[in-house]
Amino acid sequence: MTKSAPGVRIDGLTVVYKTPAGELPAVRDVDLTLEPGTITGIVGESGSGKSTLALSLLNAVQPPGRISAGSVEIDGLGDVVGLKNEQLRKARGKHIGYVFQAAQNSLNPLKTVGKQLLDLGRSHGVDDLRGLVREAKELLGRMGLDGARVLDSHQHELSGGMRQRVGIMLALVLNAHLVVLDEPTTALDMITQANILKIVREVHAERGLTTLVITHDIGVVAEVADRLAVMYGGRLVEQGPTREVLGAPRHPYTKGLIRAIPRLVGDIDEAQALPGRPPTLATVPAEGCVFRERCPLRMDVCDTVDPDARVDAGAGGPRAVACHAVTVKEHA
Amino acid sequence: MITGTGIVKTFKQRGKVLGAREVQALRGVDFAIPKGGAASFIGESGCGKTTLGRIIAGLETYDAGDVVIGDVPMSPLKPKQRQPHFRKIQMIHQDPYSALNPTRTVHQTLHAPLSLRAKQTGRSRSWMEERAAEVLSLVGLDPGSVLSRYPHQLSGGMRQRVVIARALTVDPEMLVADEAVSMIDVSLRLGILALLKDLRERLGVSVLFITHDVATARYIGDDGELYVIYRGQVVERGPVDTIIADPVHPYTQSLLSAIPVLHGLERPGEQPVEPLESLDESQADEGCLFARRCPFRGERCEDERPLLHLAQGVPQEHACFFPERRSVIARPMSEV
Repeated sequence: MTKSAPGVRIDGLTVVYKTPAGELPAVRDVDLTLEPGTITGIVGESGSGKSTLALSLLNAVQPPGRISAGSVEIDGLGDVVGLKNEQLRKARGKHIGYVFQAAQNSLNPLKTVGKQLLDLGRSHGVDDLRGLVREAKELLGRMGLDGARVLDSHQHELSGGMRQRVGIMLALVLNAHLVVLDEPTTALDMITQANILKIVREVHAERGLTTLVITHDIGVVAEVADRLAVMYGGRLVEQGPTREVLGAPRHPYTKGLIRAIPRLVGDIDEAQALPGRPPTLATVPAEGCVFRERCPLRMDVCDTVDPDARVDAGAGGPRAVACHAVTVKEHA
Repeated sequence: MITGTGIVKTFKQRGKVLGAREVQALRGVDFAIPKGGAASFIGESGCGKTTLGRIIAGLETYDAGDVVIGDVPMSPLKPKQRQPHFRKIQMIHQDPYSALNPTRTVHQTLHAPLSLRAKQTGRSRSWMEERAAEVLSLVGLDPGSVLSRYPHQLSGGMRQRVVIARALTVDPEMLVADEAVSMIDVSLRLGILALLKDLRERLGVSVLFITHDVATARYIGDDGELYVIYRGQVVERGPVDTIIADPVHPYTQSLLSAIPVLHGLERPGEQPVEPLESLDESQADEGCLFARRCPFRGERCEDERPLLHLAQGVPQEHACFFPERRSVIARPMSEV
């Protein structure tokens, strides 16, 4: 049952959370296309809406949150925003594999990995459980683990890097071809992180996946992603081919974020923290540009008008940036 | 000056059906952190860097060797007598969300250590208020706007600053920062690192920085020393920029090779080093501790343990029989 990598088209997606102050948008009017067979990285700080966006792919935003507008079209599934309970449950796992943030701690501590695997198989109506175990062992072996030993282990017997690989195995074992990894390497040290990223790249290529990686760490995206999308305050402020965005960032937030990365060589003073702090759900401005409070290029129009994303066709794929100042500068 | 000689720590695991297992967390570590100086401990999870930091902060006991604070060795002292010495060393934890009591305002958080201090030195209430405002200003917060706030009303970066301000209330000689920026938003991390550097320069506080992210170690001061720790042994030690630019130990080279390359901005190093297998603490203790994972091991490495020494031709100390310079780190494209 080979499936091919699905494409995903997110169009005008808005997700709101109900708060005492009314419904506030965590994700606002986001357009994003995942081309089949690519790895896309979404970078953002805490409160940028990146995890909420990722959950929308599963239509799994929990109350008090809800998708209030837009659509998420996935090849072979249709618009997941319209899917209901049972259809959704089946889609999750079979079509979309999800490796949750802190996958290290998302295993059941009372059951062996093997038992959890069988639970997963039964809940998805898999008839050939032996085949499922075989597949799981193969995947674990592929990731450099002793499959039989891992399936017999409890969570506490595995290291952080091993648990992360178990998470990836559970996301892929039902033959999902769209995979979402939420912060796949936080709390792992550098060597383990490099190892996991290498596995993500290789498994992605071998199994023919469409992969979405959510992270706060630009380095992670730089290592694995074909395309990079930058989120801030619920808005997608810039996206494009990873190398182009990193080499020549256009949005002032992307520039600031790259400048804020501690570097191994060069003048220490070149790296600078961004002034101010990222907005929370409660402090995101209701109108105008979400980044203006921290922006060195702020203009009058930024206070009142939220900039639309301007899309340019580039050599390596489309690039988009949502900034009044950039638009003025490049079209003056 | 805070020094340590030959520190040994063994953790005994008990309760397992099939007998106890011992883990050697530290195998005779020496260190010296001068007043106002900076040192960084780097290594993988489980290498012993946090244990060493906790020993230095007086939060963990040790089995052999000694910690000397100023010129007072700690071993001969009774626990109660050690307290005033270890109080000069304050720990900044990784998670600023759990390090502050959520039911206390910033004012209340600072009040507790300050009132103790005031009692000891016979100072007045107004001194406490002044001092609270002073430490908040030192960490770059506006006392007027944060004193009455609760932790949940502050961002991660601001919380970490409050934690540092609380540590400063007791006039410490050293701050031990264990992964102090790993939970802070990326755009704000450098601000916290710059603050630590600033406190060194302005107050003469030494900073011990424990991290797995080598690049951050440069930002608390390029005069700092880097200690690369592997399975409880320091395997390379020297000035931070020297070790980053010219590491000679294959383990240090593996750590540096693992740092993500910002493709588009940087070119990867030409001779990246990848360990042959992942860390397994149950591996045999004979010979070089890194031998099993080392792509460059020789016969000698299997039987003999190399000790940290200053070798000819390189400015840093290392513990390797076959040290060799390799170009492992990514360089900016603009440099080429």
